[in-house]
Amino acid sequence: VKEFVALSTRDRIRAIRDLAMSFEEKKHIRWVLTDKQLNLYCYTCNKLHSQSLRRCGYSIRSARQTLELWQGIMKEIGGKFGTSVLSYFLFLKWLLMFNIFSFLINFGFITIPLLVYDPSPNIPPNVSFRGLEILTGAGYFNYTVMYYGGYSNETLIGLVDYNMQLAYFFTIAVYMVLCGIALIFSMASSFKENYVLADTVSNSAWQLLCSWDFSITNERAVRQRKNNLRVQLKESLSERAQRELLTLSEKLKHFGVHLGSWLLSTGLAVGCGASIYYLYAANWSLLQEAETLLVPFVVSLMNLVVPLFYSLFNKFEHYSSLGRQIYALVVRNVLLKMSILAVLCYYWMNVVAEKFSCWESMVGQALYRLVIVDFLFLMLGSFFGEFLSNVIGTRLLPRLGVPEFDVARNVLELIYAQTLAWIGIYFSPLLPAIQILKFFILFYLKKVSLTQNCQPPRRTGRAAQMQTIFIALLFFPFFVGALSIVAYTAWRLTPSEQCGPFRGLNNTFSVVGVWIDDLQEIPASQWVVWIYQNVIRSEIFYFLITLIIIVIIYIFWQVTQGRKQLIGQLRQQIVNVSVLHP
Amino acid sequence: MKIFIVPSIISHRLQTISVSAVFLSLQDCTFFTRKEILRLHGRYHELAPHLVPMDYTNDPDCKLPLALIVNMPELKENPFRNRIVESFSEDGMGNLSFNEFVDMFSVLSETASRELKAIYAFKIYDFNVDNYLCKEDLEKTLNRLTKEELTPEEVELVCQKSIEEADLDGDNKLSFADFENMITRAPDFLSTFHIRI
Repeated sequence: VKEFVALSTRDRIRAIRDLAMSFEEKKHIRWVLTDKQLNLYCYTCNKLHSQSLRRCGYSIRSARQTLELWQGIMKEIGGKFGTSVLSYFLFLKWLLMFNIFSFLINFGFITIPLLVYDPSPNIPPNVSFRGLEILTGAGYFNYTVMYYGGYSNETLIGLVDYNMQLAYFFTIAVYMVLCGIALIFSMASSFKENYVLADTVSNSAWQLLCSWDFSITNERAVRQRKNNLRVQLKESLSERAQRELLTLSEKLKHFGVHLGSWLLSTGLAVGCGASIYYLYAANWSLLQEAETLLVPFVVSLMNLVVPLFYSLFNKFEHYSSLGRQIYALVVRNVLLKMSILAVLCYYWMNVVAEKFSCWESMVGQALYRLVIVDFLFLMLGSFFGEFLSNVIGTRLLPRLGVPEFDVARNVLELIYAQTLAWIGIYFSPLLPAIQILKFFILFYLKKVSLTQNCQPPRRTGRAAQMQTIFIALLFFPFFVGALSIVAYTAWRLTPSEQCGPFRGLNNTFSVVGVWIDDLQEIPASQWVVWIYQNVIRSEIFYFLITLIIIVIIYIFWQVTQGRKQLIGQLRQQIVNVSVLHP
Repeated sequence: MKIFIVPSIISHRLQTISVSAVFLSLQDCTFFTRKEILRLHGRYHELAPHLVPMDYTNDPDCKLPLALIVNMPELKENPFRNRIVESFSEDGMGNLSFNEFVDMFSVLSETASRELKAIYAFKIYDFNVDNYLCKEDLEKTLNRLTKEELTPEEVELVCQKSIEEADLDGDNKLSFADFENMITRAPDFLSTFHIRI
């Protein structure tokens, strides 16, 4: 209790919550610390002040809780299927928050000022709304605020002078930076909690004491888990009895099979990328409405079918542990998606940017089509993947059994969909709205499909590590890739002449240069000009910062090594002490 | 008239002050917000509507027996439901007052710290309450987890193997330090030792 006195109120509350005593004892300690202690100081003002601050904090927390989505559904899914399947839905909800935030700031800072200033879009007279635009995104939508081309480059005169160029640039830049910071923080905290000291061997003690999922409340699910645990324990007992050593020829055979399947999967990924490139190159000249849907169709078909091939490889390959199998599957899927995205972006940046007059809107339309077709295929994939597997497993081939929910494949599909949205923000500011709708519908669809068609997973464990890996994958390479595409577009490519907020400039970044030149006239903002010229544009600053960061990283790395050694030594000491004093 | 109205206003004000003070103490000592505590009180009340008063002012002394609490849908299918409720009750028999009820779900909630969860998990698995997980405790745990479908030799083998793997100080039973060491190497523990309410 004495240590608690020295802490601030917030730390004290946190320490009291962490005490493993009965509630009455905690209440007594709290009373001792807050009520008795403050007799020394100004009794009324201090106590009321800290109390009212805490009450305020709690009511904010309560208010935030009312905005929480889908609590009941999450509880039901967690109760029936366990935490690893629930992590998919939590991930989906987390990504939905990114899109809601993006939509709010894009709509608020870019679209609303334009709509207020000029409510009617200037559409040429012979273009009207047909139903096909919802799928292709071209036609009527091309002239609205949906795409880059619908935004003007003027300074809107109204209540205040609103510079559309600066607004567009800074809104998107700030959103990407905030996204990056949020992802880095999540990744770091996830690594710290879930990855650092994890033991990769799943052993008996762990299975017995740590693996039971307390959140399962469904009777059938509990029975199934008990069965699974019994099967796993029997397996591990029998493995212990016959621990086989592989002969050299068997090792070579395994190695050959691994090499073959890796070559095949990489070849498939590269082949998909190349075929999309040729399809695009052959097809772009034909801009008929419905034919523009061909490339997104092929892309989504590949994203649906090729991962199923990769899952088939599992039948032939023999991995030493389940974890390695999942990692291999994830890496192959990531390679496939990255190669497809790389080919698409390369085509857009190099060919489309040269050929068309309003090329950003073209790219925006392509991305819109990709997002919509990807959504349709996700729905189809749910039908084929889960419903048909269920039918096949129960009626046609009972040997296969009811399918399990494949968390890794589904999460990678989510990551891919989110990457498309992140690339598309620059070219189509209202794309997050489509993404919000898509994720919303997808949540309910997957929930229904899960409860009707799937059974709880048979092998448990390492859900936390997979969660960390998914967040890390979301950041690198997908978010970093999207950020570099947008940065490359803003830096190197010339904005189109006839449309959009950056027409007439050499590149998008020069917007900032123009603004700084304007600011130089105003004496009050000389510090902004100074920061821009001496900090952002000077190379020495970046060089120094990089050097300092490298030195700090090296120091932290050495500290970590030292601590690892210390842990090993302490463990050895415990063993030694017990030997000496049995 | 006025003389009679004023005392009732004062007593109502005192009631609201004492209710909010009680809520503040609950919010400070557990990981729940006011809304969740109110919801928990509703759940506690519906377990025994005739025993538990609806309003929260007098901090009543009623304790609900074990049999009522383990029938909650969140606990009904849990193999350790009796041990969970017993570990949080002051008398060790499973009779929980409302504060202990909130405390139980607070430790089992998402935001509780790993150390706190490890302490209570150890208490739950310690069937004979001797502050060590000896072989009998592990055997009872295993039987609860597998519905007693393993043969006695297999049970013996698994428990022996577990003790060998986790016991660091060699006394053939797991002390809290051994248990905590194992928990730190199992990152899933935070999410599996979790009951949603």
